[in-house]
Amino acid sequence: MEQLDVYSLREVFNRQKIMLCFNGPFTATLIEEIGKALRKHMEGLQESPSSVSDVFSVYIELTQNIRRYTVLNNLQEHAATSTIVVSHDDEGRHVVSAGNVVRAGDGATLAARIASLAGMDKNELKAAFKAQLRQPRDELNNNSAGLGLIDMARKASQPLICSLRPIDGEWSFFSLRVVL
Amino acid sequence: MTTDNLNISETSSTPAIQANWEDGTVHMQGDSYPENSFELFQPVIDWVERFLREAKRPLRLELDLLYLNTSSIRALMDILDMLEEAHTRGTGISAVWRYDAANERVGQLAEEFKEDCTFPFEITART
Repeated sequence: MEQLDVYSLREVFNRQKIMLCFNGPFTATLIEEIGKALRKHMEGLQESPSSVSDVFSVYIELTQNIRRYTVLNNLQEHAATSTIVVSHDDEGRHVVSAGNVVRAGDGATLAARIASLAGMDKNELKAAFKAQLRQPRDELNNNSAGLGLIDMARKASQPLICSLRPIDGEWSFFSLRVVL
Repeated sequence: MTTDNLNISETSSTPAIQANWEDGTVHMQGDSYPENSFELFQPVIDWVERFLREAKRPLRLELDLLYLNTSSIRALMDILDMLEEAHTRGTGISAVWRYDAANERVGQLAEEFKEDCTFPFEITART
């Protein structure tokens, strides 16, 4: 087995300007605690209340989407291991990224949805958000309001970028990057 | 009668919610980002529905909400839609959303809710 080199792992974290990273099974308590720590940490850095709010909001939407998906599909162990990263890009903008294992078909549906959001301007995104807000309750899936992706796209300064890597015929790894 | 009031305690991810039948007020305060917002807000939706049906008195919504996840936004919209409907039928409805002026995201969210309401809806920035 390859020896874990903490120093080089740390170098990667520093080079990528990673402020916070978690890789493992998401539980409700864990997400909440990390979220609180993230908020506190950013407030301590004297970040504006708006950027703290935006980063926290994207963090919550991404992690809760993943939680809902893994619970709904009853994913266990390796398949339930998900990743969330909060970092900065070279321009100093906050970037929130997340990835998780999905059924290949679900991944393709998600990627298509993100591509359609990427083609919308801020006004169109607002209209899409309001339309989704009025979707009848009984047409919503598993307690999801279906608003998370649109909300993130509205807060982002760039179109959402996702990638889908096949694991095997049935499963893929889906990742999403939100630049604020 | 105390059974006519609703009193939900605040947690780190859910707001304090009080509904008072006598006063005709619903007050919510704090952050709201539970995983299952529909579960949290259902008793509030039921209470508002019953008040509008039975009390036949004005209802006032007082909000000191901070951060809302999107499923909480959906639940709050459902409540505001019920109030809007009651308002168009002639029930006296009013709302106020108070927020800290430094946190402009809360103000923007409140403004977006207000766009869809025709009853008196006051948004107050505290400085």
